[in-house]
Amino acid sequence: MPWSDNRPAACVPESLVHSDDAIVVSGMRKKFGDFAAVDGIDLTVKRGEIFGFLGPNGSGKTTTIRMLCGVIEPTGGGARVMGYDVCSEAEKVRANIGYMSQKFSLFQDLTVDENLKFYGGIYGLSSEKLAERREYILDMADLRGREKELTGNLSVGWKQRLALGCATIHEPKLIFLDEPTSGVDPTARRQFWELLYELASGGVTLFVTTHYMDEATHCNRLAFIYRGRIVAEGTPQEVKADLSADTILQISVDRGEEALAALEDMPAVQEGYMQGSLVHVNLGRRSPSEADIEGYLRSRGFAVTSIEPVEPTLEDAFVHLVTQQGGRA
Amino acid sequence: MSFRRIWLLVWKEFTQLLRDRSMIPLIFIMPVIQLVLFGYVIGTDVKDLRTAFLDQDGTTASQQVVDGFTSSGYFVSVARPTNDAGVRRALDGNVAQVAIIIPRGFADQVSKGQAAQLSVIVDGSDAKTASVAQGYAGSIVANLSGKLYPRPATKPGATTPGGVDARVRVLFNPTMRAVNTMVPALLAFILMMSTQNLISQSIVKERERGTLEQLFVTPIGRAEYLIGKLLPYVAVAIIQILIVFTVGTLWFKVPFSGSVAVLGIGLALFMITMLGQGMLISLMSRTRYQAQQANVFLMVPSMMLSGFVFPLSSMPALLIPLTYLIPLRYILVIVRSNFVKGSGFIDLWPQFLAMIIFSVAIFGLGLTRFQKRLSD
Amino acid sequence: MRRILAIARKEFLHIIRDKRTLVAVLVIPLLQLFLFAYAVSFDVKDIPTAVLDQDHSAYSRQYVNTLQQSNYFKITQNLTAPGQIDGVFDRSEDSAVVVLPPGFGDAVAAGRTASVQVLIDGAEPNSAQLGQAYATGLSRVYGFRVAVEQADAKGRSTSSGGLSMLARVWYNPEGSSSAYLVPGLIVLLLTITTVQQTANTLVREKEQGTYEQLVVSPIRRIELMIGKVMPWAAIAALQVVVISGIGLLVFRIPFRGSVLLFAVSSILFVVCALGLGLVVSARASSIETANQMAMMISFLPAFMLSGFVFPLSSIPPVLQFVSYLFPGRYFMVITRTIFLKGGGLEVLWPEIASLAVYAVAMLVLSSLLYRERA
Repeated sequence: MPWSDNRPAACVPESLVHSDDAIVVSGMRKKFGDFAAVDGIDLTVKRGEIFGFLGPNGSGKTTTIRMLCGVIEPTGGGARVMGYDVCSEAEKVRANIGYMSQKFSLFQDLTVDENLKFYGGIYGLSSEKLAERREYILDMADLRGREKELTGNLSVGWKQRLALGCATIHEPKLIFLDEPTSGVDPTARRQFWELLYELASGGVTLFVTTHYMDEATHCNRLAFIYRGRIVAEGTPQEVKADLSADTILQISVDRGEEALAALEDMPAVQEGYMQGSLVHVNLGRRSPSEADIEGYLRSRGFAVTSIEPVEPTLEDAFVHLVTQQGGRA
Repeated sequence: MSFRRIWLLVWKEFTQLLRDRSMIPLIFIMPVIQLVLFGYVIGTDVKDLRTAFLDQDGTTASQQVVDGFTSSGYFVSVARPTNDAGVRRALDGNVAQVAIIIPRGFADQVSKGQAAQLSVIVDGSDAKTASVAQGYAGSIVANLSGKLYPRPATKPGATTPGGVDARVRVLFNPTMRAVNTMVPALLAFILMMSTQNLISQSIVKERERGTLEQLFVTPIGRAEYLIGKLLPYVAVAIIQILIVFTVGTLWFKVPFSGSVAVLGIGLALFMITMLGQGMLISLMSRTRYQAQQANVFLMVPSMMLSGFVFPLSSMPALLIPLTYLIPLRYILVIVRSNFVKGSGFIDLWPQFLAMIIFSVAIFGLGLTRFQKRLSD
Repeated sequence: MRRILAIARKEFLHIIRDKRTLVAVLVIPLLQLFLFAYAVSFDVKDIPTAVLDQDHSAYSRQYVNTLQQSNYFKITQNLTAPGQIDGVFDRSEDSAVVVLPPGFGDAVAAGRTASVQVLIDGAEPNSAQLGQAYATGLSRVYGFRVAVEQADAKGRSTSSGGLSMLARVWYNPEGSSSAYLVPGLIVLLLTITTVQQTANTLVREKEQGTYEQLVVSPIRRIELMIGKVMPWAAIAALQVVVISGIGLLVFRIPFRGSVLLFAVSSILFVVCALGLGLVVSARASSIETANQMAMMISFLPAFMLSGFVFPLSSIPPVLQFVSYLFPGRYFMVITRTIFLKGGGLEVLWPEIASLAVYAVAMLVLSSLLYRERA
């Protein structure tokens, strides 16, 4: 049929998959014309893990997720999701995963109930099962009494929880969450992660992308993708390990951006970036006393409030990795 | 392929559609408004042309001329200027559209059996009126000629006056009401406007909102998506056609001499073509506004070159090849012929063939490109 | 004022960046101009006709020739049996069938009345009516010509009298449709672009939610309205100039009136169109509906009820009344008169006054609508 979504052949042999693997990615590639959005990546995600997938915009994050969800076909290599091959069994993949996107995957012009009914039906829930799940989700998302409201009129926090509800309506064992907390205030974000932990403790695997580095620390394991390649993989500790010997200074200064620009000219500074209004610089193996940051800044007319060494954060690690690759974070 | 999923998609589409308050009246009222407009405006026969009569002769014969024009129903006397300047004023001032000048000495010439000539001046700034006015005037003049000038007896003993008598019979639409052909044409036209437009707007809206993707991570297959997308608009189109058909036959009293089967199949083929066009438009447009622009862009040549408004026989030779590329052209023949003359499949096989080719080609193209785009 | 200009500039940049819109407002109107200019022809001629000549005499052939020569009828086929006639009509091969019965030639030669049967397909009402008139008229002409020939041959002096007409077409001597259409096209295209664009513009902001942003900022709604609409007014002015220019240069239509009057009425009309667009955008709840409504309010009335192609005098009174509600009607008369007839204020004052009233009414209505919560 012209519209079948299956390629006849599997792209990842079954033998590569262990019983406790939720996702196995092997040499996966996606080219759009000449441009390689995803350039040969390998990954493994174990069942029950909270796996963080980080990377700047345009790094191939979204394309990877799309391939893992069986939405688009890899041009090379492939993956097995929940044991199903994304190339030859995409339909089965989709039936067994949940997905929540940045835009929350909800229909703004349908009511809460209508969204639930739609997704429940799409995933083939029986009416009893749907009723049961509906009750659960309304409670979880704190939407009792608001079933007939238009989704578009809900505030972001509620939308987020409803979206999670719709994504899990069929109780999948693997959920993809693409920037699920974008635009949500910190309190709601924290509450949302409580929900995620609950799910994970029940054995559900979570594959989360985010650009909030602090959220990345909530994950069991991480992978960084940059320009279509995985540049780091492991637990947050492992990823930061590369930097454990490096000296990271946190500087509070006026006109942070300009100060950063000035600091980057210093040979002692390997890399730097803004963390909120603070400036972080990585001195590599040098000790703080070897590089007179304060003096350097003062001599250029900056008013330095404080400088102190800090533990390398994931963000530091990320910037480090990216700079190593020759780019700017 | 799951019927339940298709049904859910259809249900979702309708729910969203109906939630848009201003859309519902539009869907149902638009066809009626178009029917009224097209039926009464295009379908109207030119008559009651405002005419200025400059009678420079003032005789019984010249009055006969005036009467000959005014009694035809096509010309109405709105001014009786007394000189050329008066005529100019009447036409310049948009008071009259036509002026008829009967020269001095008219009756004299007629009685002497000499050739006489009337001046007929038409306002060329309104071409339709101008050409129609000339046509009718010519006919009236010919008739008057016969009345005013007794035919010369060309053979001694001939009893009948001679000459050629044309017995004209109008078949199939004896009253020649333009509405009778406009209503069937509208069935096709409304189908075109509505289907193509609504489909492309809906698909583009999903792309704009980014909700397309969230559908594809679910078990929904491409085919299911398409069917679920197209079905609601097929239903809408059918409703609109029924509205036009009913209002047309009941209110406008357009007689229907054809067969529902022929009409149905012809319109169905046309609908498929239009759905294909809608899909193609949605592929080329990033915003709903662009889709609308494309829609209007396609609509105008279709109206002009298909024989919908302007007769094909009057089309300049240069444009005639273009007219063959327009699907509307063929369905119009089918619909009009069937409605008015009861033409069947066998009579209309060239048009049906063309429709089949178009629907397969355009829908097929739309489908494959759409499919391909969704896969990226 | 500065705020208005800021909004106007933003809108203008938005327009420039959208290549498709640029094409739509500049290229497409031109395409339509050419299309209309060449495709629109009301002259009913070359009516496809089939001939069944059962007489086969010199006279019958002569008669058919007369029809062909007139350019009103175009003989496409010769039938051989009456049974074929139905098929011709059923298949819509021809719009008319002329049947010359046996004995036609004899009757003509003998000076008796000869009859011809002309069957016309009423399914093509335009051609049908005129076809009827032409057939009758041409037959008489032919008959008369024959009579004269015969009389001459006999050496009789005949009154070669007969009534004929001399037709003159004023304001458009070559009868070129373009002359008549270009002024009308200005009205049509201006209406479509302006109303649709304006309607879209404000609804787009509403939908995207950027509307709220702007409303909260220190800008007043009226200023927002004016600012958004200004670039479109400028584009409309550009369109008028371009279309008029092409009409004058390429199609060589005359311009006999006053440029000042044209400019003033164009401005008035643009304001009316903008006002209409604003009213639509205030009431429309989504872009799709804005588009549909704009189409209904701009394109259809401009095409059908303005006198653009279809004369207004012949339509039923109810619709005539409706046509007064749309500015296209007035501007149509104005443009035609100014371009082709050279009339001035003394002739056009009713239309100009109407436009002015309409413009004011639209402005008031839209500002009222924009003062309430959107």
